[in-house]
Amino acid sequence: MTESDGYVLLALFLVPLGSALLLMLTPSRERTAIIGLTALASLAMFVLSVYAFVRYSFVGEQFQGVLTFGWMQNVGLLGEHGLQLKVGVDGIAVSMVLLTGIVILAGTWVSWKVTDRTKDFFILLYVLVAGVYGTFVMLDLFFWFFLYELAVLPMYLLIAVWGSTRKEYGAMKLMMMLVAGSILIFTAIFAMFVELGTGSFDMTEYFAASFDPTFQKIFFPMVAVGCGTLGGLFPFHPWSPDGHAAAPTAVSMLHAGVLMKLGAFGVIRLGFQMMPEGGAFWAPALILLGITAALYGAISALRQTDLKLLTGFSSVSHMGYVFLGLGTLNVIGWNGAVLQMFAHGVMTALFFLLIGGMYDQSHDREIPNFSGMARQMPVWAIFFVIAGLASLGLPGLSGFVAELHIFIGAFRAYPVVGGLAVLTAAITATYLLRMFSSVFFGEFSTRWSALKEITWPERAGATVLAGSIVVLGLWPSPWIDRIAPTIIHTIPGVTL
Amino acid sequence: MGMEQVWLLPAIPAGIFVVIALFSRILPRGGDWLAILGLITVTVLGVLVLIDFQGSFTGGHFDAHGNNVFAFDWIRVADDFFAIEFSTFVDAIAVTMIVVVSIVALMVMVYSVGYMHGEARYGWYFALLSFFTAAMLTLVVSGNMILLYLAWEGVGLASYLLIGFYWERRTAAEAAKKAFITTRIGDVGLLIGIILLWRATGSFDIQTIIEAARAGAIGETYLTVSMILLFAGAAGKSAQFPLHVWLPDAMEGPTPVSALIHAATMVVAGVYLVARFSPVYAEVLIARDVVLYIGLLTALMAATMGLVESDIKRVLAYSTVSQLGFMFVALGVGSVTAAMFHLFTHAFFKSLLFLGSGSVIHATEQQTVEQLGGLRRKLPLTATTFTIGSLALAGVPIFAGFFSKDEILLETLKGAPLAAYVALAFTAALTALYTTRLVVLTFFGEPRNRHAHEHAHEAPTSMAGPLVLLAALATVAGFVALDGVGKALGFAGGFGELVFLEEGHHFKLDPAVAFGATAASLVAIALGWAYWSGAAERAARARRWAPELHALLVNRYYLDNLYQAAIDRVVLGLARVVAWFDKRIINETGVDGGAQTIGYFGLRLKFLQTGRIPNYALAMAVGLAAIALLAFGTQ
Repeated sequence: MTESDGYVLLALFLVPLGSALLLMLTPSRERTAIIGLTALASLAMFVLSVYAFVRYSFVGEQFQGVLTFGWMQNVGLLGEHGLQLKVGVDGIAVSMVLLTGIVILAGTWVSWKVTDRTKDFFILLYVLVAGVYGTFVMLDLFFWFFLYELAVLPMYLLIAVWGSTRKEYGAMKLMMMLVAGSILIFTAIFAMFVELGTGSFDMTEYFAASFDPTFQKIFFPMVAVGCGTLGGLFPFHPWSPDGHAAAPTAVSMLHAGVLMKLGAFGVIRLGFQMMPEGGAFWAPALILLGITAALYGAISALRQTDLKLLTGFSSVSHMGYVFLGLGTLNVIGWNGAVLQMFAHGVMTALFFLLIGGMYDQSHDREIPNFSGMARQMPVWAIFFVIAGLASLGLPGLSGFVAELHIFIGAFRAYPVVGGLAVLTAAITATYLLRMFSSVFFGEFSTRWSALKEITWPERAGATVLAGSIVVLGLWPSPWIDRIAPTIIHTIPGVTL
Repeated sequence: MGMEQVWLLPAIPAGIFVVIALFSRILPRGGDWLAILGLITVTVLGVLVLIDFQGSFTGGHFDAHGNNVFAFDWIRVADDFFAIEFSTFVDAIAVTMIVVVSIVALMVMVYSVGYMHGEARYGWYFALLSFFTAAMLTLVVSGNMILLYLAWEGVGLASYLLIGFYWERRTAAEAAKKAFITTRIGDVGLLIGIILLWRATGSFDIQTIIEAARAGAIGETYLTVSMILLFAGAAGKSAQFPLHVWLPDAMEGPTPVSALIHAATMVVAGVYLVARFSPVYAEVLIARDVVLYIGLLTALMAATMGLVESDIKRVLAYSTVSQLGFMFVALGVGSVTAAMFHLFTHAFFKSLLFLGSGSVIHATEQQTVEQLGGLRRKLPLTATTFTIGSLALAGVPIFAGFFSKDEILLETLKGAPLAAYVALAFTAALTALYTTRLVVLTFFGEPRNRHAHEHAHEAPTSMAGPLVLLAALATVAGFVALDGVGKALGFAGGFGELVFLEEGHHFKLDPAVAFGATAASLVAIALGWAYWSGAAERAARARRWAPELHALLVNRYYLDNLYQAAIDRVVLGLARVVAWFDKRIINETGVDGGAQTIGYFGLRLKFLQTGRIPNYALAMAVGLAAIALLAFGTQ
């Protein structure tokens, strides 16, 4: 990746922001224009993301495509570097950029079904995506936090206006918990800013700072809990199942698919990279919470009867793997954590796409109310089975590649935890196959004979997502070649 | 075509799977011809691999032959520190498996053209069979544990989808689920075992692991635990106690699938795995004893259950479980030769029996023996071939099963306590007994369901052909072990030595063992014949003879009920507790409670905001006075 590729990174969050602006200028009744514009914008984001991913290769220094634009220097508290718009990616960030590109492409396509205030929906959705992209590529702490919040806040309106099933409650709960988490992050950022003392928000300076160990031990958990809340870290996860259940399809997809990864990403960037000794000190706690979440989410999912709640608890379980992987502090576990962020992002987006595609017609998500749906909606069922098999860690699909790394990383850290993690995969198989058996198989109940197969945009989106699942599952080296060197050479405190 | 190109074997059916899965609607005949053409190619290539292997085979020690062909880096982190190289490995075990898998798969596919004719999802069926064949061939030529695990789960997926092929039937859907979850429990052990072995050796390469273990590089306890965990995976896949419960239910799938997957190939994957690691099991005798006694228990238990089952396919399923137990017993006494030999012969006669039962079901649309009987006149070909398969299963001399079962009994006598031998010999007699019962009740005596009997018709050619071919194999497959036959077929050291690994292992019948086993089988057959061939009502007399025992067997030792209760009470109970905790404690108390507490304070404290100036003035005055007091007080 060269410096000029930095403009691609910049474009990544300027395209959705610009599209949101253009959408504001488009009259709401011009539906065709709105759909055309969003089609173009989503394709542009996808292409830019793939381009960034392909162009990246690890060559020694941590960040590539670095571009800096000064904004405020030497004013008040701000020192020489002060506030800058600085972008750049490493192997972890660029994988997340690719994930975002894939999910927003499919998310845009399925959202053309939204008929109520379509324009406003897309404006908020794209602002959210701009925040997501921005957070992944930003190397300035001020803008990082600004964009992080920009990614979270539109969620409230998106759920409260376009949602379903106790949407006000879900939206409020989600927002309150995430804002509480943000307060912790905010506190930690200011503590680090003061402790650094150079008046700079340049993140690379923070990575190199090596703060006082006691300071790190105090402020690492703030970041871990603050970002972890967004990442669905047990026991700060309760917003997640309710929020997902309430959110409209594309928002669930983006939220579970990408935003939760933002939380884990924050734990890496602000936590482990800025406060490695604090991270090392608290890593066992992260492992404990991670494996608890994995088991707890899986066992809870056994009892869920709402498809979205089932997927929500499944997400808690799978994000538990991510935190478990990070807690191992070894390269394999970390590699697995980042791969899992990608793998889970894609598979859970596919889950929500499919649930939405069915719910929009049936207005029912209760598992016992369905039977033999593979007859009525075979394409839907096949995609669902692919997502489910990826989720239960079937080799050859994305989930296994990630989970294998996490299991091995966990075995290197604590064999007992590794054993429990493998066991969790069997529980996952149990709740998913119970659901398959109940919903797809058995005699078809004529009650649903009016349901139609998922629409063509939905099929296209599902194909992109399922394709990513298969590609990562069969040919993981493009991801590993980017992620692993980044971890080995640039993450302090992570050993072989 | 040689061993270097062995990856082509799985690649061909894999490609065909993709083509049929995507285009079966536009392909003529749903693409069944494509699948069969692919399988013919694979069989031919498999024979070429065998010839190439034979050419380079120099005889001699276990790990001297076989070659590790590098394929490609699947995952590589920090150079060699964590690397997964997908490679293929061809040795005598792999060659044997290739031959078995390709022949049986081809037979089953041809048979299916007739059997599945007119079914919905006909193309999808052939796509799945191709997928299964690809995964199974990958499994047997894999040189890497992760590639093996990938294929292992791949055949499991194929099995899941094929058991649930008639998913409109609730029982089929449940059986598919049960099969997947039960084997998955074993796979937890397998995956942990793989990871533990990697942890000790730093490699996923099977031969590297075996060499390290034999060189004593792994602690004994550690190795014992790892090998028992690997066996857990094998026991799940090969339906051994206590994970055997899924296989009888798996009979919900189409019958040709039962023949291919649940008799001849996938279920022997566990035997294959333990055979592959036999040099390591030889180092840890505790783990090997576990294999022996689990195998023995399973063989005996399944045979007794086969004695009372009335569903023709389920009898065969119990029989498969029992015969797999025989193979594990052989592995448990350290005789890979005997295990692989029995695997080889069993594949032919058991798939023959399943295809024969399929022919019966196809003809009568009945599959419980209570509805059958007297079919030998209506279905002469099926009856003849089925009887040949049964004789092989019962271990009657000259048929294939006789040779291999005799080999296992002999090895057990040499390598295990006498009690184990006695139990196994008793099981062999039981095998003859339940087999006789099945044959008699199905093909002899008077028809019990007139209607079904009258409408019965012999199978079409596509089904009859495979029956005849497999019957021939079930008759002669045992002879290959004889030295002279091996040499005549062009194997310098005898086929036995080539395929069955052991140097200087020459098949020799032990007269005492062979005579004893044959006598026991013949007595059992005679007893069974005398008992079940009489009037129909006599068949039911066993029930009255020992009702408790009968109930125990019919209810499968109550294990299924026990497992169901454990899942309902323990697992779902735990889930209920966790869900309650999440709802009440975390959500309602923690999150909502937190919000309500704040809300409550807001509600109370809002009264301080009265909006009346005098109230505020009073508060200010009191506050000022307090500050003043404090300020002066401290001076």
